[in-house]
Amino acid sequence: MQEATYLILTALAAGSQHGYGIIADVTEISGGRVRLLAGTLYTALNRLRTDGLIAVDREEVVENRLRRYYRLTPEGEKRLAEEAARLHANAAAALRRLKPDLTGGVA
Amino acid sequence: MTELAGRPGMSGPARLERRYRRLLACYPRAYRRENEEEMLAVLLACARGGQQRPGLAASADLIKGAIRMRLWPAARPPRTVQTAVRLVWVGVAGQLAALITNVATAGSVRSAYARMYPPGAVAVVYHSVAAHLVADQVEEATAMGVLLVLAWALVRGSNLARFAFAACFGLDCLKMLQAAGQDAVVNAPADMAVGAVAWLLALAAGVLLFTGASNRYYRPKPRAVTSRHQTFGTR
Repeated sequence: MQEATYLILTALAAGSQHGYGIIADVTEISGGRVRLLAGTLYTALNRLRTDGLIAVDREEVVENRLRRYYRLTPEGEKRLAEEAARLHANAAAALRRLKPDLTGGVA
Repeated sequence: MTELAGRPGMSGPARLERRYRRLLACYPRAYRRENEEEMLAVLLACARGGQQRPGLAASADLIKGAIRMRLWPAARPPRTVQTAVRLVWVGVAGQLAALITNVATAGSVRSAYARMYPPGAVAVVYHSVAAHLVADQVEEATAMGVLLVLAWALVRGSNLARFAFAACFGLDCLKMLQAAGQDAVVNAPADMAVGAVAWLLALAAGVLLFTGASNRYYRPKPRAVTSRHQTFGTR
């Protein structure tokens, strides 16, 4: 799973969000490291929708602009959980092997 | 370009919106119908105050997204099909290279013939060589076009394209046999070598297109068909 895809799913894990909300949330989740651009976001959203990992939750019109809210599907939740577990296991393995002083005493 | 500068009476945000719409026009029509307003809202929400033109990175990202949307359907084909289609693209590039080489070297081929034959015979030979070269160029351009269309249709799960590809491969086999029959191995070894590599690539693509995962992609169950056709659907 690409990082952008993973972060988008993570952004939706806590509840439905619209496009701009996802961009802002991904920036926050990644500590400002990943700034999604609209083209990338919508390529990913289109693919995730076709793969059935996300679905349209509802639509709103705010100040004459269309806002479409997306949510995770059960399949999307499952895939995100699997991916998170995989990344967690990999990170734990790395931290176990690194010298303690390099990991800030976490390991 | 004067139009790009916007009408003098236009406000900043309206100008920015118009420029974004122009970029969004690169997306497929069906996709735009569903998503243009929503994407525009996001683009405008991301804009800095007073911004009048789309940023370079954001523009490039939109164009990249549009190209992806046109080249690859949203439902990702299985890996075997992806690899086969990449091989077909290599074939397109090869035909393009052959065409460029042919056009670029046509002059030197003609003058080589002019030196080989006595002045009286040159005119006749010259015409026959020129006709030959043009025939080759037409063939290469046609093959390139056919491969492009096939690549486009193959990635979209057209079963017809799969069999069309097999038929083209059959024709290529016949052409190779014919060339070998004319002692091309001795007379034009480089040509034969290039042809053999292209033939192997086509064979690999053909095998990939008719293996298990590809078969499921090209002959899906009824439910899978509908999901593939509503690539841009909301539901």
